Amino acid sequence: MNLIEATDLRKTYRLSRRTSIDALQGVDVSIAAGEMVAIMGPSGSGKSTLMHLLGLLHAPDTDDGPAPTLRIDGVDATTLSDGERTSIRARSMGFVFQSFNLVPTLTAEENVALAAEYAGTSGSAARVAARASLASVGLAERAGHRPMELSGGEQQRVAIARALVNDPKLILGDEPTGNLDSSRAAEVLGLLRRFNRERGQTVLIVTHDQEVGAACDRIIRMRDGRIIADERVADVQVAA
Amino acid sequence: MRILRELSRRKLRTSLTITGITIGIWALVVFSSLANQINGLVGMGSEYFADKIVVTDGMAFGSSPMRLDDVEIIAGLDGVGAVQPKVEIPWDPDPAIGFGAPDFLVGTIPGADAGFETFTLELATGRQLIAEDTGNVVVLGSTIARKYGVVAGGTVDIRGESFEVLGTLQPTLSSPDTNGFIPLSTAQALYLGDLPPLVAESLQADELANQIVVFPEVGADPTTVAAAIEAAVENSATMTGAEFSETVGATTVIFNAIIIGVAAISLIVGGLSVINTMAMSVAERTREIGIRRAIGGSRRRIVRELVAEAGVIGLLGGLIGLGLGAAVVVLVNEAGRSSGTVLFDLTAQTAAFAVGFSTILGMVAGIIPAWTAARLDPVSALRYE
Repeated sequence: MNLIEATDLRKTYRLSRRTSIDALQGVDVSIAAGEMVAIMGPSGSGKSTLMHLLGLLHAPDTDDGPAPTLRIDGVDATTLSDGERTSIRARSMGFVFQSFNLVPTLTAEENVALAAEYAGTSGSAARVAARASLASVGLAERAGHRPMELSGGEQQRVAIARALVNDPKLILGDEPTGNLDSSRAAEVLGLLRRFNRERGQTVLIVTHDQEVGAACDRIIRMRDGRIIADERVADVQVAA
Repeated sequence: MRILRELSRRKLRTSLTITGITIGIWALVVFSSLANQINGLVGMGSEYFADKIVVTDGMAFGSSPMRLDDVEIIAGLDGVGAVQPKVEIPWDPDPAIGFGAPDFLVGTIPGADAGFETFTLELATGRQLIAEDTGNVVVLGSTIARKYGVVAGGTVDIRGESFEVLGTLQPTLSSPDTNGFIPLSTAQALYLGDLPPLVAESLQADELANQIVVFPEVGADPTTVAAAIEAAVENSATMTGAEFSETVGATTVIFNAIIIGVAAISLIVGGLSVINTMAMSVAERTREIGIRRAIGGSRRRIVRELVAEAGVIGLLGGLIGLGLGAAVVVLVNEAGRSSGTVLFDLTAQTAAFAVGFSTILGMVAGIIPAWTAARLDPVSALRYE
């Protein structure tokens, strides 16, 4: 069963009155539940835009062409209000970003608990969930530290703990290893792979890194706002 | 706790904003306390004058002599229930110029009001004056009693003579506190001595008064009675309760306008600085707000958190302003107490209003920047450096 089914996704960003960027020019994509997929392509290829649409951070354009469809876990996401999209992000999705994006004034535990609270878990239960989630990424000892007091790799593991705390169906990573050295990157990738295998969570990663792509089940390659290749990783390796 | 931590991230700016609100609320507390005191005095005065007509000589209110003959004339008029002559003279004939009500000696005939007087003075020690009292005896208002440190049974020097203190009164926070009540005959003799010799030589002490208090009969219209008195007694001026309230009402309006003005200024200044602080804070935290929105923080929740933060700024400013205002009120009142000048009355209502007002002010001022923050696009907010 497909977790994500989308057709005719288009997105144009208007930079000024005269200039605009056609970031996505009609993309059809489906992602099966439990898959771990990399979206790769050069800068400006539209891979981040695609992730923002699939992560319900932006809505697809509806003018100038066939009506887009976007179903996530069976729900039609094209007609949702901002509040409804926010609620789905809170409950069913987890985000991991290149620059970690932790709230600097909150401790690791509070950062993770924040996501649980946004998903509707009450204060003390959110704390318990946060500690469990931090333990699952091996950071139980660092729960009381602020982001400033943690290394880059640790911060990204806190971000993963935050993404996982609500046990979401979909984890979205936007260059999650981009700011890490190769051994920390492998650690982070290993965690995502582990949760994908153990809990069947669907993982979608935007990346430049060939090694990250190779660790996934499937690679979607993009250029100029379109998908130019969509291949199983096993096939790639056979071809190589 | 999280809110305080957020605020402490920007210590200087937050404390400047809090200081701005503090000053506004401080002014609000002090001015309101002043107004409370003045409105209290006015209210007490209105209450005192409510059921009576005060008749004085038409030339100068309360200071020129009147003859007791007038009492007989007035008592004979229609609608007059009781007539009580009074002599009010300064405690000290050459009072030092000072702030606040001067001390007065009030000579009267106890009981002459025939039960019409509703404005009663409660005793703290000793007894009230009675009609049979004569000579150098006095009942002291609370402020004077404290000033001379006497209670019933003691003596006090008035104009070089020793007076026996029959009783002392409970504080009323109004003019009776600075009055010494003496028998009419005693006051008449002192009054005669105060008058210029040219005037005095044609007068007898026992026919003097400078104020005649008239109690209209129940159901009689004070205005009609007052007009009848002015017609019957040459050169007389009357003041009814309604006229008194009208006159002092104008003063009250001015004071209340000052309070509203202070409140409005603190509203504008404090509100703008909260808006500024919160707008800067939102700009600084653009990225953080993007994170919160991306991981599922709703707009309502972002607004709520920022408005709460702004509310805490207002609350802290309000509490500190109230604290400093209360300090001024207490210190000035303590300093003035020895001279009988109580300037401020800080009521619980005023205190609660000041703190509530500044909290709500902060929250209202926080709404605009909070809403701006909540409208941020999470993706562009995340790219913001």
